[in-house]
Amino acid sequence: MPIYLLFDVGSTYTKGLIVDTQSETILAIANDMTTSSTDISIGIEKVKAKMRNILDKVYIDQTLMCSSAKGGLKMIAVGLVPDLTLKAATLACYSAGAKVIHAYAFQLNQNELDEINSAQADILLLSGGTDGGNTEVVLHNAKQIASLHPSFPIIYAGNKAVQDEIKAIFKNENCELLCCENVMPTYGVLQVDECRSVIRDLFLKSIIKAKGLSKLAEVLDELILPTPSSVLEALILLSKGTKTEEGLGDLMAIDIGGATTDVYSINKTFILKDNAGYKGLQEPLDKRSVEGDLGVRFSAHNVAELMKNEIENDELMSAYLESIKRDLYSSNDPKLDSILASWCTQIACERHAGRLEISYSPMGISTYQSGKDLRDVSKVIGIGGPLIHSKDPKRILNKVLRNPKTPEILLPDKIEAYLDQKYVISCLGLLASRHPNEVLRILKRNVEKIK
Amino acid sequence: MGNTTVVIGVIGADVHAVGNRIIDYALRQADFNVVNLGVMVSQKEFVDAAIETKASAIFVSSLYGQGELDCRGFGDYCKEAGLNNVLLYVGGNLVIGKSEFAPVEAKFKAMGFHRVYPPGSDIAIGIEDLKADLGLGK
Repeated sequence: MPIYLLFDVGSTYTKGLIVDTQSETILAIANDMTTSSTDISIGIEKVKAKMRNILDKVYIDQTLMCSSAKGGLKMIAVGLVPDLTLKAATLACYSAGAKVIHAYAFQLNQNELDEINSAQADILLLSGGTDGGNTEVVLHNAKQIASLHPSFPIIYAGNKAVQDEIKAIFKNENCELLCCENVMPTYGVLQVDECRSVIRDLFLKSIIKAKGLSKLAEVLDELILPTPSSVLEALILLSKGTKTEEGLGDLMAIDIGGATTDVYSINKTFILKDNAGYKGLQEPLDKRSVEGDLGVRFSAHNVAELMKNEIENDELMSAYLESIKRDLYSSNDPKLDSILASWCTQIACERHAGRLEISYSPMGISTYQSGKDLRDVSKVIGIGGPLIHSKDPKRILNKVLRNPKTPEILLPDKIEAYLDQKYVISCLGLLASRHPNEVLRILKRNVEKIK
Repeated sequence: MGNTTVVIGVIGADVHAVGNRIIDYALRQADFNVVNLGVMVSQKEFVDAAIETKASAIFVSSLYGQGELDCRGFGDYCKEAGLNNVLLYVGGNLVIGKSEFAPVEAKFKAMGFHRVYPPGSDIAIGIEDLKADLGLGK
């Protein structure tokens, strides 16, 4: 059984892990401040130096890495109707570990094309129309996008009826195009698996090169995932387990950062209770959402603005926000950071969860659900610096609970809180498919339950 | 007709599902693609589904007597959404009580529906009308 050296680069800290899959132990863990704005390899060398005493003693079979460097994987999603193919395309991007920097519905206009042109995206995902459905909008959008001669690759995941025409349009303009299954082949049905793997392949092949990580790729032995994608792999394994090793069951996870907050929910089956009907696109059982406007540093002002009626949003908080504005990293008040983190958790979870709508009619009360029902999910895992460094992470994670004032938002009714205290989840996700049983046991031992 | 899509559903807060299933079955038997939105369907859901699936027709059902309120502005909404060539059919107990059908039909045609069916109509008639309106052979 091999020994792995694993890295997670691009967030506030560069993290390193040495994992022995034979003895199922983490031999070393080390962190150092990120160097992603200058040269990632410097940070990696610093982390390696901290693990030197172990590195000198063992033979590393493989070195793998997940990265959110240079803003992570930045994508543009284009669809037809906002609640249908555009939503499906956006969910596909999220499930592949990407951040959606722009999302466009219907025919693209010149302003939007100008934005696409200057957006510095890594990939554009073009969808629109169910299979055999609308063709004119997606053909129009394909022609407009191809005319920009974008420097980034395009993935087509729309109506299959015009796939050949779309290929020809991009070929004529010498643009890179990859095709995969429609993200919404029929009304309301989400199909993102193939799209997700195409995005990951592209990330591996071209994005790494574009982000100046290719030099680093020489010391790595193939696998590089976007960090959120690696986190998702680890969480799916931890939730579902393997054939021989039981997982934790349905769970949620919150990853709070300086600029964004990610929420994950992993469910075994789709829950529809109380005779409720279902409306809209059926969301994925392994769902990730990203809130680009919620975080404890870059997005702190916005978070406070959204929570302006909270008692804790007082003069002290205003002064703290001002100091963050002046200097992002020197300000450090754990108590106020915890308040910001709890607000991020509350808003991000409310956006992630499904809704129950009640309708009063001459026939009595009827209910219907949109999105995921998470009321029975009882295990919640906290990931990321603001949670790990908080003196009371349980208080932050309790914000995941269903709010009595908004019972229609289908969040958990009670929770057991866990914490990724040693920052192991993102790195261990890299090994989830190779050594599922061993990694699952390591995860269970290292993700700690908090009281 | 395998390439012709019809969006169907029961509008508003109405949960009568049986007629909806019969319409679904009959249309499929007649070789149409059916996008069935089920019960309690809003105007927006009908329009969104018709855009994505390039539907040729929308069949709106209503049985609980509130159809007049639920369907108000439906034709205009479809026009705004660019669905100019989509046929709009409506049927069921469209108004409360036993009203004379002619004024009810006139009212719904003024809302933009191309065909209006009284209570107890046979879906086979609706399907024949649809084939005729779309210029499809028998």
